[in-house]
Amino acid sequence: MPAEHLARFLSAQWGEAVTIAGLKRFHGGSARQTYRFDAIGTSGRREALVLRRDPPSSLIETERLAEYRAIQCFAGSAVPVPEPLFCDQGPESFGSPGFLMREVAGGLAGGLLDPEAYGTHAATVGSQFFTALGRIHAADPAAAGVPAMALADAAPARLAHWRDAFAADQFRPEPVLEDAMAWLAANLPPPPERISIVHGDYRSGNFLHDGNGRLLAILDWEMVHPGDAHEDLAWACDPLWSHFSGLAGGMLPLADAIARWEAASGLTLNPQSWRWWRVFAQVQGLVIWISAAREVIDGRSHDPVLMFAGTIPYRFHTLTLAQTLETL
Amino acid sequence: MSLPLPALLHAVATALGAEVAPALQLLGQPEAPDANYAGGTAATAALILGIAAAEAANAPAREAAAAAAAQPLVGDAAAGRDARCAALGALLLAGDRRALPLLVGQAQAEYAALGLPPPVPVA
Repeated sequence: MPAEHLARFLSAQWGEAVTIAGLKRFHGGSARQTYRFDAIGTSGRREALVLRRDPPSSLIETERLAEYRAIQCFAGSAVPVPEPLFCDQGPESFGSPGFLMREVAGGLAGGLLDPEAYGTHAATVGSQFFTALGRIHAADPAAAGVPAMALADAAPARLAHWRDAFAADQFRPEPVLEDAMAWLAANLPPPPERISIVHGDYRSGNFLHDGNGRLLAILDWEMVHPGDAHEDLAWACDPLWSHFSGLAGGMLPLADAIARWEAASGLTLNPQSWRWWRVFAQVQGLVIWISAAREVIDGRSHDPVLMFAGTIPYRFHTLTLAQTLETL
Repeated sequence: MSLPLPALLHAVATALGAEVAPALQLLGQPEAPDANYAGGTAATAALILGIAAAEAANAPAREAAAAAAAQPLVGDAAAGRDARCAALGALLLAGDRRALPLLVGQAQAEYAALGLPPPVPVA
């Protein structure tokens, strides 16, 4: 329970006694514990804040800092993000490593299975969503503190990352996934024009909008890394995030989404890279869902969000990847 | 399924016991931090239970059909999902693409059991 940590930390920060009210833990986002609350000072100062912290057993301090740095990089820019306030890589402030952000008031997120996640504002939100993605890819990676990367490493490094994760978490034969990985290894794309900040999980459901056509904030930067901008674009346009609509992110026709991204990023879609990263997106997804299932099987988690991931998205990507293999 | 049914049911039961049951004792205390989280946990757990019930009812017939379809290609290895997948995967990696339609069919049947709309290409 972080309330006592929050009260102690904010009292020191504000220089007055602070009480915590309305503390609520969000459901979902299983990699992090996320709470919203109101901080109220004795002077009457009141702020709505969000805490994202590691589960108490987690030891991924460096990833926490990477997420916070990425949000800091875009705070106040044309890429909307929550306002970052404070990050502590240790347990002193929040009970476990974590960071504070200002709450994005009135923000709504699209649900994976919601067929009308953005209603009549889908195209308007989608235009902002893919423009923001292009702006992320136009930014200097050094400004976000992501490590340097050689152009030629962009694709092999990501493939190796997910191949290692699969090797660690596989618990039964996955012939579709293994065949796709073999194809990816044998058909590497050309190096990107430049190394970009890759958000790593840029998709419908990982941003907030106001319900009236305005994009409010891009969230969940915990998988940020350097790489090929096609990686984010392919993930954002994967059918899993389309709400069964055939639209990119459930919001825009694919050609429009790509046009928005190209205009904002200054990059040009490379068809060879695009084909490769679209297969990669399904491979990445499938490994994530397998890893989620493994957490449950091994008894490390009983979170139904992980059970959901290990069942519905798992079957979705197994099917789409198998069908994709028939076309390669 | 990706998650074996016994593991899934055990995890659901644990979630209900560890997260939801304590939250029920907080009814009438809307300021309780974890009540909101437990409500979401209960809702997702209900969805998972629905899938698990359908799986228990339908998986045996689906598995039998997949085994029958694969038997001409992989023989006795067709009986049993893991053995069948391993055998079909070995064929694929050896360049025998006859295994792929069988894997597509298996994936289609497993996805259809969820009762969701089919994937729509983004093209």
